[in-house]
Amino acid sequence: MQNKSNFIKVDCEVNGKPVSLHVSPDQTVVDVLRNELGLTGTKKGCDDGNCGACTILLDGKAAKSCSMLIGQVRNKKITTIEGVSNGEILHPMQQAFIDTFAIQCGFCTPGMILSGIAILNENPDADEEEIREGLHGNLCRCTGYVKIVEAVEIARDRMNAGGAKNEI
Amino acid sequence: MLGVQKMKFNSYHEPETIEECIQILDEQGADAKILAGGTDLVIRMRSRVFKLKAVVSLNAIPELSEVTLKEDGLYIGAMARLMDVSKLELLTDAWEIVKTGAGNVSSMQVRNIATLGGNTCNASPSADTVPSLVVSGAIANIIGKNGPRSVLLEDFFTGPGKTVLAKDEILVSFKLPNYADKTGAVYKKYSIRGDTDIAIIGVAGKITLNAQGEVVDVKIALGGVAPTVMRVPKAEAFLTGKKLTDQLIEEAAVIASESCTPITDARATKEYRTEMVRVWVRHVLTDAAQEAQKN
Repeated sequence: MQNKSNFIKVDCEVNGKPVSLHVSPDQTVVDVLRNELGLTGTKKGCDDGNCGACTILLDGKAAKSCSMLIGQVRNKKITTIEGVSNGEILHPMQQAFIDTFAIQCGFCTPGMILSGIAILNENPDADEEEIREGLHGNLCRCTGYVKIVEAVEIARDRMNAGGAKNEI
Repeated sequence: MLGVQKMKFNSYHEPETIEECIQILDEQGADAKILAGGTDLVIRMRSRVFKLKAVVSLNAIPELSEVTLKEDGLYIGAMARLMDVSKLELLTDAWEIVKTGAGNVSSMQVRNIATLGGNTCNASPSADTVPSLVVSGAIANIIGKNGPRSVLLEDFFTGPGKTVLAKDEILVSFKLPNYADKTGAVYKKYSIRGDTDIAIIGVAGKITLNAQGEVVDVKIALGGVAPTVMRVPKAEAFLTGKKLTDQLIEEAAVIASESCTPITDARATKEYRTEMVRVWVRHVLTDAAQEAQKN
């Protein structure tokens, strides 16, 4: 039996729904998302802040969920890859990754998509250089990044042309 | 699972005022660590570099993130996120170097969470924000059980990972004193994989010229080549009062490379670092002198 005397209460919002957690404070955000909430779309790659596979959005900004304690998300809005689509309708960033085949093994993809969304949240007209700078903290060991950068550019153009809006 | 390490600590505190925070730190003593952004701390706790009983988060004390322009300079709260610092419009002209330093730390995801105070208190010799703050003459405003005190940032570090902070003290803010006219300041990070990588070396330089184009003040700070970020007083004294030439800058760069005491690690050998100090001090001083003419 786990001693729960030191557990903390953390209220936050995950993918648009209020969540009230009662958890051990020494858990990282990625572990709570995966193990407590079953949101396994957030991947655990290096678990030491380098690879970006665990990227989530925190109040719309990209963050590495392996490098944060669960207490740090108190009263914040979390978006994981599970919260990106609008029901069956994919987010333009997801659709662009499919259309450009910016995926090989797929392990880095959730983090890449969330970083792509965060880049355009901050700067809807990000050019190739700015996209590459933004993706600097996401490692992909398969694709060589060309298709990934292309996907973000296509998503940018579609969103700016008045397609589905980026509302995350 | 391979490589999975569980970190364990007993209590998580999230004080809402500085007073409450100091009281908790005083009670917890050496068993507690302060959590700012956590991008260094959390990783080190999990790899068991730090074993501790309590974590004290500064994230619920809003005044620690405040940025205020006052008559005597710019005050930047210790909890200001690096992303915000890297875009801070109040950092103009000779203060822009602080933006550069913050913008050079790791990736977008890390800069969104990591803080200026955290990068400083982590006290890595290769911290990207520190050389820029040091040449800007930054002052660290500290508060503890015995009240507030201020320390020149270059005197804040006592070794790798070590600072002058007592167990009951926190860093509250940085003060950047106003800069003089005709001042140029430049930071350059040298690393293999850009921002995401830790610097092999980092060099900051600030030069103030007089109407005749002579150097009235110069500061050089080196990261990644000594136990703490270091100034180079000998090279600074050598340049002061002179009209800069390529030859003089090269001589100052040689003095800087002879003054540092780097180690060999995974990123570079000590010989390579020493040689790179010469190269990058030359680049930094050349660019800073150009900036000084413009400002």
